[in-house]
Order: sequence, then C-alpha cells, then structure tokens
Amino acid sequence: MAETGTPPEQVDDGRVGLSIDGRELRVPKGTLVLDAATEAGIHIPIYCAHPKMDPVAVCRMCLVNIEKFPKPQPACATVAGDGMVVRTDLPEVTKLREGMLEFLLLNHPLDCPVCDRGGECDLQDFTFRYGPGISRFPITEKVHFKKAVQLSDLIELDQERCILCWRCVRYYDEITGEKEIVLQQRGVDTLVSTFNDQQLTSKFQGNLPEVCPVGALTHRKYRFVSRPWDLQRTASVCPECSYGCNINVDSRDFEVRRFASRDNPLVDDMWLCDRGRYSFDRWNSSERVRRPMLRSDDEARDISVNEAITQAARRLKEISDEYGADSIAVLGSSASTNEELFLLERLARQVIGTPHIDHQLDPFDGISAAEHELGIAEIEECDTLVVLGTEPEEQAPVLTLRLYKAERKHNARVIRLNGDVSGTDAAEAAKGAIRIGLIADETNRENAAAVAGKLASVGSVRRLTITRGMNGRGAKDLGVLPNVGPAYAPAAKVGKNGRQILEALAKGELRGLLILGPNPALEAAGDLLERAVKAAACVVAIDTRPGVVSRHATVLIPGHAVFEKAGSVTNVEGRVQRIRAGLPPASATPTETRVLTTLANEMGAEGWGSGDPLAVNRAMRDALAAYAAAGNGGRALFSAAAVS
Amino acid sequence: MGEYKLLTKDFGATDLQTLKGYEKTGGYQGLRDAFKNFTPETLIAEVKASNIRGRGGAGFPTGMKWSFLPKDVFPRYLCCNADESEPGCFKDRYLIDQSPHQLVEGLLIASYALQVNTSFIYIRGEYHDQRLLLERSVEDARAAGYIGKNILGSGFDCDVIVHGGAGAYICGEETALIESLEGLRGQPRLKPPFPAVKGLYGQPTVVNNVETLCNLPHIVQRGGEWFKSLGTEKSAGTRVFCASGHINRPGNYEMQLGTPIRELLEEECGGMWKGRSLKAFQPGGGSMQVLLPQHIDLPLDMNAVQEAGSSLGAGAMIFMDETTCLVDVSMRLVDFYRHESCGKCVPCREGTYFESELMHRLEAGLATRAELASLADICSNMDGRCFCPLGDTATWFVMSAYKSFREEFEAHCGAGRCPVRAQVTALVA
Amino acid sequence: MTLQAATRSTIEHARDRYPHPRSAILPALWAVQHELGEITPDAMGEVAGLLRVTPSEVEAVSTFYSMYFQHPHGRHEVIVCINVSCALRGADDIVDHIERTLGCKSGETTADGAFTWSSTVECLGGCGGAPTMQVDHHFQENLTPDRVDAILGSLRDGDSALGAGPVAAGTPPRRAFGAPGRPPATPPAGAPSAPSAEAPAASPNKSPVAKVSRAARVVPAANTPLDTPKEPDTAAITKPVAKPRTRRPSKDGQ
Repeated sequence: MAETGTPPEQVDDGRVGLSIDGRELRVPKGTLVLDAATEAGIHIPIYCAHPKMDPVAVCRMCLVNIEKFPKPQPACATVAGDGMVVRTDLPEVTKLREGMLEFLLLNHPLDCPVCDRGGECDLQDFTFRYGPGISRFPITEKVHFKKAVQLSDLIELDQERCILCWRCVRYYDEITGEKEIVLQQRGVDTLVSTFNDQQLTSKFQGNLPEVCPVGALTHRKYRFVSRPWDLQRTASVCPECSYGCNINVDSRDFEVRRFASRDNPLVDDMWLCDRGRYSFDRWNSSERVRRPMLRSDDEARDISVNEAITQAARRLKEISDEYGADSIAVLGSSASTNEELFLLERLARQVIGTPHIDHQLDPFDGISAAEHELGIAEIEECDTLVVLGTEPEEQAPVLTLRLYKAERKHNARVIRLNGDVSGTDAAEAAKGAIRIGLIADETNRENAAAVAGKLASVGSVRRLTITRGMNGRGAKDLGVLPNVGPAYAPAAKVGKNGRQILEALAKGELRGLLILGPNPALEAAGDLLERAVKAAACVVAIDTRPGVVSRHATVLIPGHAVFEKAGSVTNVEGRVQRIRAGLPPASATPTETRVLTTLANEMGAEGWGSGDPLAVNRAMRDALAAYAAAGNGGRALFSAAAVS
Repeated sequence: MGEYKLLTKDFGATDLQTLKGYEKTGGYQGLRDAFKNFTPETLIAEVKASNIRGRGGAGFPTGMKWSFLPKDVFPRYLCCNADESEPGCFKDRYLIDQSPHQLVEGLLIASYALQVNTSFIYIRGEYHDQRLLLERSVEDARAAGYIGKNILGSGFDCDVIVHGGAGAYICGEETALIESLEGLRGQPRLKPPFPAVKGLYGQPTVVNNVETLCNLPHIVQRGGEWFKSLGTEKSAGTRVFCASGHINRPGNYEMQLGTPIRELLEEECGGMWKGRSLKAFQPGGGSMQVLLPQHIDLPLDMNAVQEAGSSLGAGAMIFMDETTCLVDVSMRLVDFYRHESCGKCVPCREGTYFESELMHRLEAGLATRAELASLADICSNMDGRCFCPLGDTATWFVMSAYKSFREEFEAHCGAGRCPVRAQVTALVA
Repeated sequence: MTLQAATRSTIEHARDRYPHPRSAILPALWAVQHELGEITPDAMGEVAGLLRVTPSEVEAVSTFYSMYFQHPHGRHEVIVCINVSCALRGADDIVDHIERTLGCKSGETTADGAFTWSSTVECLGGCGGAPTMQVDHHFQENLTPDRVDAILGSLRDGDSALGAGPVAAGTPPRRAFGAPGRPPATPPAGAPSAPSAEAPAASPNKSPVAKVSRAARVVPAANTPLDTPKEPDTAAITKPVAKPRTRRPSKDGQ
C-alpha cells in the first residue's frame, strides 16, 4: 500500500492510528473498533458481540458515530482504519442506546426479582447505565413465549427473556459445531429452540448460561441459589481432569455454588465441559476426615496433630531401622499440589530412603518428556491432528472444542483413529500432512510412541498425552514414579509401582506405607487396597475423606481438599497454574506441606524449613529448572530425550 | 415521451412464452451478438456505456456493479433477483409471464460478460406459475443449445438453476437472497465483505434484478450509446412502472424515464377512478415516502423524485383518491414490515412490532396524542440504525404520511373510530 | 422413513443440481409439503439426512419462510392480499365475504377440511388486478364476492372447471405447489398465467376496466382529504383490520 500516500515519516508497523472520543491510540491492523475502545478504556455496551465468536452486529447496541460514515456503525463489526475518528460520547449515540434498550425491553418480561441472572445481567446493567430511565410503552402487549423450558437436566430456557443476541446459536455453530440450538420463526416471533423441542445432548451445555447476556439460559443446578453479590469468588483450576481449565469457584456459606469459566486462551479458551463444571457439589460433601487419630488393635483415639506427626515419624523409623528403608512405600496422588508432591518425593527418596514411590497403580514404562511436547494452543498450529481412540476426548472433553476450532478456523484435518491403530495405517490416513499433532491417552501412550515413529515419515510430529488426574502431569514431572525422579531423571534404583506396592504390602513383603491422599486412582485396586492397608504394620495417611485408608490407618492426619489450600498444579501440557484457598478447611490441621515438612524434620531431615507453601514453591523452582522457567502460568518444558 | 416499448414491444405476440415464439421475434439474437461482437471485457464496457441503473430499487449502475468483481477469482455466480415482493410491485411477474425467454437471454448475456458458469434465478415462492414457466423455458433453452456446454459454439458454458423461494420479502435484499440460496434462513449478511467479493458460497457474486437483465439483449443489439439516448441523462432507458390503486386502468406500463408522472396517470392509467381526485401517491412501492398531488408533474426520473423526498424504488406507483385514510394505509404497510422483518436486528424486529401495535390503535381511534407523539421518536430510533434497509424503510412511509397529513393522524387520536372512514360512511348513509 | 421414494428422489435430484447440497433445502421442503401437506419433524429429519445437515438447521429454515406449513392445512389454500393496493380496491370486503362464506377466521381451516384461508399483508404481486388472492398458488384477480363464490364453489365441488386439480375427494391432502406440469387453476388461452382470467380480450397488462375519458380529476392542491366523494365506496366501510397473525401456534406461552 506504499503508493497510496502513507506519510513518509510514518513507518508501517502493522498498526493503524485512530481516535476514540478524542483519545488517540494505535492498534494492530484488523482490530475492531470495539476492541480498540476497550483498549482505550472506553466502554461500549454489547449484547451480540462475543470475544470468541464472529461478529454479527444484530443487537445494534454498539453503534457509534464514525466520521465520514453517513450512518452510525456497529463497533463490533467495524475494523479500525487509519485516521478514523470515532465518537461514543455524542448525544446521538446516547439517544440511540436509549432507543435500543427501549426496544429490547419492549418484549422483555419484568421478572428480574425472580431471575437467576439478576445482578449479573447485561440487560439490567446497561439499562441502568445507558437506558432511558422511563418506559413509554404501556400500550403494547408483550409477545409471549414459553418460560421455564427444560432443555436438559442442566439447562433451562426462558424464551421470553431472550433478547435474540444469537450467542447460543453461534456457540453451537462456531464453538461446538453441534447446532443443537437454532433460531426458529422470524420477525418478532423469532425464538431460539432445539429441533422439535428435543433435549440437549451436548457435553458442553454449561457454557450456554455464560454466553447468554441475560437470564434466558440458566443453570438448573444454580436455580434460585444465590445472588452474585452473595458469592465469594476464588480463581482456581478445575479439578476434574488434567486439562487444567481455569475456573472461578463461586462459594457462599462455605459451600461451592457453581464453577464459572475464567478465560485462559491458551488452555480452555473460556469453555468448560459439563463434567467439570457441574462437579462442583462434590466439594460440598460433609463426609470428611476431621480429626487426627492414632489406631492400635482396632482401637482408635483422637490425638493432636503434633503428636500424630511424632507418632508417624517414630513408627516409620522403627520399621526402617528394623526391616530397612526399602520396606516402606510411599504413595502420592494426582490430586495433590506440586508443592506437596515435591516434598513427598524428597521425603521418600532422600529422608526415608525408599525407591518404592508412585502415584497410581499401573506401570509407566519408557516415560519420556517427548510425549508431552504439544501444547494445547499449539493444536491450532497443526494442519493435521491424529487422535488415538476415544479416551483423550473422554478424559479431557474440552479438547474436543480446541480440535473443532482448529478445524473451523484453521482448516485443520482432524483424524480420529482407533487407539490400537497400526502406525502404517495412521501414516496412510495422515498422508499429505506437514505439521502433525498426535494426541493419545495414558492407556494407549505406548502405541502412540509407535504411531509417532511412523508419522514422522509423513511430517513433523508433536505429541500430547492426556494424563489422568488433576495433577497427574505434575506427579510425573516431580518424579512421583518408581522409575524416574524429578524432571524425568532416571531413578538411581527403580522401585515398585503402585500395584506392586499394594501387592507387596498385602503379602507382608513391605511393612510401612506413607500415603498422601485422596487418591481416586487407588479405587481401581479393589480389595487389594484393603488387604494391603490391613496387612501393613504401619500406615501413615494424610487424607481428606473417610474410606478404606482412613479406616485402617495407624496414624491418620486430616488433609485439605483442593479448594482449601494454596499451591500450584500442572496441566496436561505442562502448564503450571496456581490454585488458591477459597473454602475454609474442614479441619484445623496445618496444610499438607507443613505436615510433610514437620514429618521430614522429625525423621531427621535438615534444612526443610517450616513448610510454608510459598517457600516450598520456591524450593521446587530452585530444584527444577523447567518449573523455574514456567513461573506461574507458563509451560514446564523438559528436554525431549527418552529416559529409562 | 410517453409509453416507449422496449422490453415489452413484442408482448402479446403469439406464443411469445415459447422458445419458438420468442425466436420468431428475434429472440436470442442478443446472445448470438454478444458472442460474436463482444469479449466479456468489451461487453462489460458496453453495459457501462449504456448507463443502465439497476431496476430493483436502489438504482445502482449495473456496469459499475459488475466491475467490482475481483479479477481471476473463479467460480463466480450470478443471481437474478426475481423475489419481487415490494408492495405495489408486479413488473417482474409481468416480464416473466409475458416473455420468460427474454429474461433467460439477458441472464445468459450477463453470465457471459461476468464469466459465470452457474447462474440462478431466485423467484419468490408466491410466483408458482411463473417459476414453472421459467423452469420450462430453461429446459427448452437448454435443449436448443442456449444453455449448457459450449453455448452456440462460443466455448462458453453456463448452467441456469431456477430456485423458488418460500415466502420472505427480505430475500429480495441481495445478501439475504444469497443466504436463502445457500439453504439458510433468508437473513441479510454483514457487509463488508460485499457479494461482489464474497457472495454465494463465498465466491464473487452479482445479483441483478429481472428487469435489469431483460434490458441486456437490447443493449447488446442496439448498443450502449443508443440505450443511453433513451430516458434522461442520469436515468437512462425505459422502466416498467406498476400502476395500482384508485385508477381506472391499473397495470404495467413501460415508459421512458423522464416522462412526467401525470402522463402515466392520465394517459396510460386513465386517470383516477370514479371521477375522484388524487389525494396522495407512492412513487416507488411500499417502502417509499408519500408524494402529494403537487408532485404529479415530476418526471419519472430517479434523481428528480429523490429530490422531492421520495424515490422511484422498484417503479411501483400506488395512487390514492380522496376517500383514502392515510393512517389506514400506513398501518397496512407497517403490518407488512412487521410480518416481513426477519428478526435479525433489534430495532427492526421490535420497532416494526411497536409501530404496528401503535398504528392499529391509532386507526381504531384508541391512541392518545402522547402515543402518537412517540411515533416520530420511535421511527427515528429505527431509521439508520437497522442492519439492512428493511427496517429503515419501515419508517419512511409512515413518517412522510405523518408529516404531510398530520391533521388526519391527530384526528384519529381518541376518536374511538377512524374519522376518515366515519365520514365516508356517513355520506353513504 | 416418512417420505415416499419419489419424494426422496426429487430431493436427491435437487441436491445434486446445486454446487452445495444444502442449497436444496427449499426445494426439498417444497417436495415434502407437496407429499405430506405440511412440514413434519420426521420429514425434516429425513431431509437433513439427505442434504447432510442437521435436523435443527432444516427446522430453522422451514419456520423462517411463511409458505411452509407447520400444521396440517385444508385441501385448498386461499390467501387474500390485504396490502395497500388491494385494500384500496376493496380487499377488506373480500376478506369479510370469505370469512362469512367459509365460516372461519383468517388462518383457520373449514370444518370439512376443504379450505385453509388467510388474509396476508405480504403483497402477492397482483396489485394490477387488485383485489387479489391466490388459490392453491394460482393468482385470482379482480375479485368480487361473486367471483370468489364461483372460484371457491368450483373447488369445493371438484367440478370440471378444475378437472385434474388437487381436489379429488378422498385423496390425501396435497399441495399443488411443486407439481410440475399441473395446469393453473384458471388456464387462460395461451398465457400460462394471466392477471385477469375474466378479461381474456385485454392484454394481460391491462385491467378489464374499460378505458374511460380523462374525466378523472387530478387536483394538484387537493390536500384536504375529506372532499365529498361523488358516490359511496363500500371499500372504505369495513371493520378493523386484523393484526398480522402470529406464526407460532405451537410455541405459545404456557
């Protein structure tokens, strides 16, 4: 465009200069006026515009005055041009906003007092801020539609409250591709509905109330539960799988009332799956381990935490002294924080001195950092995505949306193959690919390695393995495995894996067990777990929920559930993300990091400090360069060399 | 000037609806000439030189519209807009009824100029018989070698698909027509990108009105310069005007642009019926502003009518006599927009609903003065704010009528009935 | 499967005509309505399968267009235009007459299932022959109550005037639309469709009203609306006009 008269001193930096309400700013070419205004700190009300969806400009709420345009232009669909003069502060803009709100309220029911959206409704808020203040329409009868339509067990639709911004329709079109909700009829009779009033079947319905700017689509589980100002909001990470979707935990009266999405474009892209979103009430269970206990010969008594830790240290030491350190096993959990796992690994290998440490049952042979190379957002950079089996998308449902985005926005090819497909067949299917993303689950990670080898003859291959458990990836990075230590360094001595540990305990080959729970992965062991803890001479358990372990633990110390403590967790792609305490702990015991540190100190460790979570975090970063580089929110990347 | 038959000159000829009958009148010679005498580029230049403006309502120069197509992007598509639904407009139906092959020939000429290999005729659902007629005509033309591969040995291929709508005025808007043709709800698309760049199936697309295309065989045969000599400088050629309402001879009349409206009314339409006088008329169909008897000497010229505060639109003239209640007429037009609003944007969807509710109250004599006073403000909140012109135009007639017949509107307030109707009734009794 | 093989093959044929299969939704829905007399959910599902779209997309489209029936209709569809041009020439009288004759309101079906009639503000494009109606998609123009009686009467009787028409008693409801080759309800000689069947002598362009002298006044200054009319005008004496009817009977409030 050099010949079209750019002033010579103006260097083309890929940006354009415009003014909004007299404020000059430069924004990248292609920026929408709406986004430019946001950057300039100028609020433009919107209903239909959505940061993750293509503009449609149907609500007309964002119309602004732009010099040289004969009519007001929609800021959500107008690309900022060089020299553009935008005004949002003119009387005509004020008037058109009033007019538009008046139109929107014309057929909107006045049921704000019983609307779940009250207090966080854009129609309420913008009417308050930009509305006309009076109602002029006593004469028209409102058009009536169905109210309280149960679209599914999860979602309720109120067609009268709908302002037809099309977001839910576009969500199902552009984000999930399922097209479950569509527009029907036309004109003032237009409504959103499903085909033949069928129930929704999507795995991602819970996002609908969040894209809805009003109270038309609401969570059935949140119906009449709370006003937003009564909620306490804590930024955290969804604990349901290892994908690491960012969430806000909204609680009231010490109970979680809902999970809300917290946009992280690199991970969740602001979408949650229903499994994760609606798992919130699991954290309100009153079945908790609440008091430290000491058990001998089926007689249990309450003791203080300090006494419990002292007892635990003494008993573990006794076993170590009598039968050797390798008669003790340590089991971590993918539900624990990085800080806890970092301490647990050091406690096991350095303080107790046992090689038997794991966080799950099954062996993880040949684990390598190469199977975790592909980042979630990098999926969009691939032209071909090979998904092995249905497990990856079952384990981490939000992955499906990223794959669809790659397909829709970047014309990527998504090839879904059987988990046990041969490398040759996979290479045949991926023919013509240049940048391949290979996505597998822990269950078929070994075949994935073979397939990756074959795919390498087609194009460049990066792998992503869906780990199990919220912090399954952290447990592996931090070496809570029998065959590798922190940062995938080969273990000096390879210990028993989870199942072998339980079997050895049951047979009496191992005598002591330190277990940091809760560990849902152990449930798959069936009665082996009970036989193991029953047979063990000493079980030191830090756990949150009553169960087999807490029933048979020699020393039981109450643990903290994920929303009761601070720390970090690592998601499937190695992204280290903070979690924060949003609920009060169920028991007054110190956090796990302090308990583990005190235990280590009592067992003779030196230089472990107090176990403050922040100090532990610092120590962990000092120990693992990848975690130091990742910081908070970055990815921990390890060299791709295969280990062990 | 008066009536000048260009498109309609052979209308009434025996079997003009059949291929044979059409060929007997020199039909498809335009297409032969186009292949023989023009390259696609020179053909576009010729159409540009003719100065012909679109006959669908907006009056955009056709040659310029064609030149917006990006070079070297194929496939391209051409859609003939036969979704005529403007209240008062029935010329496209007439042109198709009388000489379907003239349209097919025009469409093929345009396809050749634009290098389009698949062309569509989007015809409104209500024109059932016309659709069947066009389908038959297309098949006959195909059998005769005017449609298909290597047409008349020119090396040019073109297929024509007749696509029936299903009842939606909005599909006359070009982007809505494209959406509908793609099998979607007929709702207008966000522009830019414009159809010339990204239209049907994301490809460069031109949408032309029936009458525009019907002119092409004549432009090709007699030259752009000749065509330009018809009509006025800025409004070249003829137009088929649809005259309806309180006149003695409603119907379609092809006139040179620039002819006084009075001539159309008095000479062609036989004047007002029942010896009554003209109270008001709409020069461009339901969308356009009302004009008054003092405007009757205006020329049928797009610019002149525009200067008088209205528009020739799609060439539909609705004449109203002295017994007409302008509130009633406004109400019907507003009802029409309420019925035809696609519901996409807020001001049109809700505004037309409000207008309609208010006008029904007003016509029944139930509205208050305060309610009537809000009408202008509501309309100003719609006009220029809507996604597409439908919502904007939904305010034009009622606002112009309110302005010109304010007393009549106000007389309705609180009257408990329509005062105009009441007066007429009283006279009958 | 809901649809007959012939309908399916019509749809498949339409699908293969277009550069993109989903473009055939409108023709496909016409074929469905022709067979079933309405657009049913099952049929929409079947169309979706044939055109490789989701059923929800088919419903979104089918409910947008006013000519697709979402409910069963009578054997004959009568639509009377009440937009300006027709209203000016007495459409409301025609509406009243039809309502009286058929004994049901606009949008309703006669008790014997013969007619579904409605008045519409959607201009039919018959302004030159106003007042106008469409009967089974064929234009009927220059209506008078007598003409309406004749048209409806002949349809109801299924008499010879329509012969091959879609009335034959006992057959399932069928829509005339989409039936290629079926003759128009009032076939004028030569022309496939004429604005005025009663004026065969005149060019279809002209209304049957005889040419009159220039007696009609055009008074430039006549802005006073209530000049004494020369004669009574029944077209102006009517009851209030119905608002556009809502198109959503199945989605009403609970």
